[in-house]
Amino acid sequence: MGASPTTLRLTLHVWRQASRDLPGAFEVHHLEGISVDMSFLEMLDVLNEGLTSQGREPFCFDHDCREGICGMCSLVINGQVHGPDQEITTCQLHMRHFADGDTIVVEPFRARALPVVRDLVVDRSAFDRIIAEGGYISTDAGSAPEGNALPISTAAADEAMDAAACIGCAGCVAACPNASAMLFTAAKVSHLAQLPQGEPERERRVLAMVERMDREGFGGCTNERECQAACPKGISVAHIARLNREFLRSSVLGRS
Amino acid sequence: MGRCHVLIWLRRTFGSSIGSKALMACTGLVLIGFLFAHLGGNLLLFADADGAAFDAYATALEHSPLLPLAEAGLALLFCAHIVLGVRVQRANREARETAYRVRRTHGARTPGSRTMVATGLVILLFLVAHLYDFRLCRPEGDSLALIVRERLASPSGLVLYGAGVLALGLHLTHALRSALHTLGLHHPRYEALVDRASFLLGFVLGLAFLSFPLVFFLGGAA
Repeated sequence: MGASPTTLRLTLHVWRQASRDLPGAFEVHHLEGISVDMSFLEMLDVLNEGLTSQGREPFCFDHDCREGICGMCSLVINGQVHGPDQEITTCQLHMRHFADGDTIVVEPFRARALPVVRDLVVDRSAFDRIIAEGGYISTDAGSAPEGNALPISTAAADEAMDAAACIGCAGCVAACPNASAMLFTAAKVSHLAQLPQGEPERERRVLAMVERMDREGFGGCTNERECQAACPKGISVAHIARLNREFLRSSVLGRS
Repeated sequence: MGRCHVLIWLRRTFGSSIGSKALMACTGLVLIGFLFAHLGGNLLLFADADGAAFDAYATALEHSPLLPLAEAGLALLFCAHIVLGVRVQRANREARETAYRVRRTHGARTPGSRTMVATGLVILLFLVAHLYDFRLCRPEGDSLALIVRERLASPSGLVLYGAGVLALGLHLTHALRSALHTLGLHHPRYEALVDRASFLLGFVLGLAFLSFPLVFFLGGAA
């Protein structure tokens, strides 16, 4: 049995698009000597350094913390959002998941509501506008209260915390066959709907956020659960069921 | 609440993605109930050799004063389900204008969920043919049981009805779990149970309806 190679030769098909209004196309690049210990973004750094040294334009791609918590990286790698591993962001994906001689297709997230700004960078401000419709509480929370002053059951606190783990990377939209933003919106609604701080604006919040989500041009949920499977934070589709429940309850029985 | 407010509320609620899917889920669930009633009636075809039981049931149904109401209700349910389905699908297609060059599932999709639109279209075509065969263009006065058996015993009947009910079965494997989720009915404890029940519903109803063309084709109309 031969030892696994420590470096890789790769063929990359990377999306190149000069601006939002211009058509894009795939460019083919060959890389050698890529360490299996590199992260995927480090591999792209190597590609960009090579391009820059040749006087060519590097590829634009989003990144920030590079430790899986900021939600900035946003690539579709060989048809899978954030690559082939489970519950990780692109920056946490390592090249050991690929084999020597592999061809890797790198694309931006594809959705009408997340237009490509340049190369692999998409405009995710639609998420900001959804949040601006109610993904917050309006009360002045002041400094942190005494831990037991506000009774919240452990189950509610845990579920709210699970929902709050959403980093807004938009991987759910990219993975959804319908480019739906239901998991993102659901996580935000579900997070606040379970806590007493979110209660006063509960009805208005869900109605306004869903209306904005629809207006942004995202698709609808057909319950295929690809979003949950692709989510780097493992956000459950149970939150989508809660969003549906909150929306229907607020629409039919709500006072607003 | 004034009339204008009601219209605004209706538009805001059922014009939204969640509201229209909730309506679609409700119509779908009622249609599943209809399928069980339809299957119950059809099983009378196996009750005797000459089809007397099925003909008696059909005659009673045709003479029922509630039949026009039931037919109108069913037509409304089917139309609403289809129109909402087309609307949702159109919005979903528009939501991704540029397709991925490579598309690989993350493992959550099922054959039923992948093919909901395709199976829905096959069911729609099958429904038109089915109504044409046994409701709109059947000869007056003949035994309905005999007409059904002759139609299903033919090769074209086997292909048409076989394809139609297989599409229906596949559609149903995703339908129940999707409808319940859309209506907000979800609990982690029952999630796996609902998934299995949805698969079983599609499998059992598909197989049960498939038994009619299979039995009559293999055994002949007599």
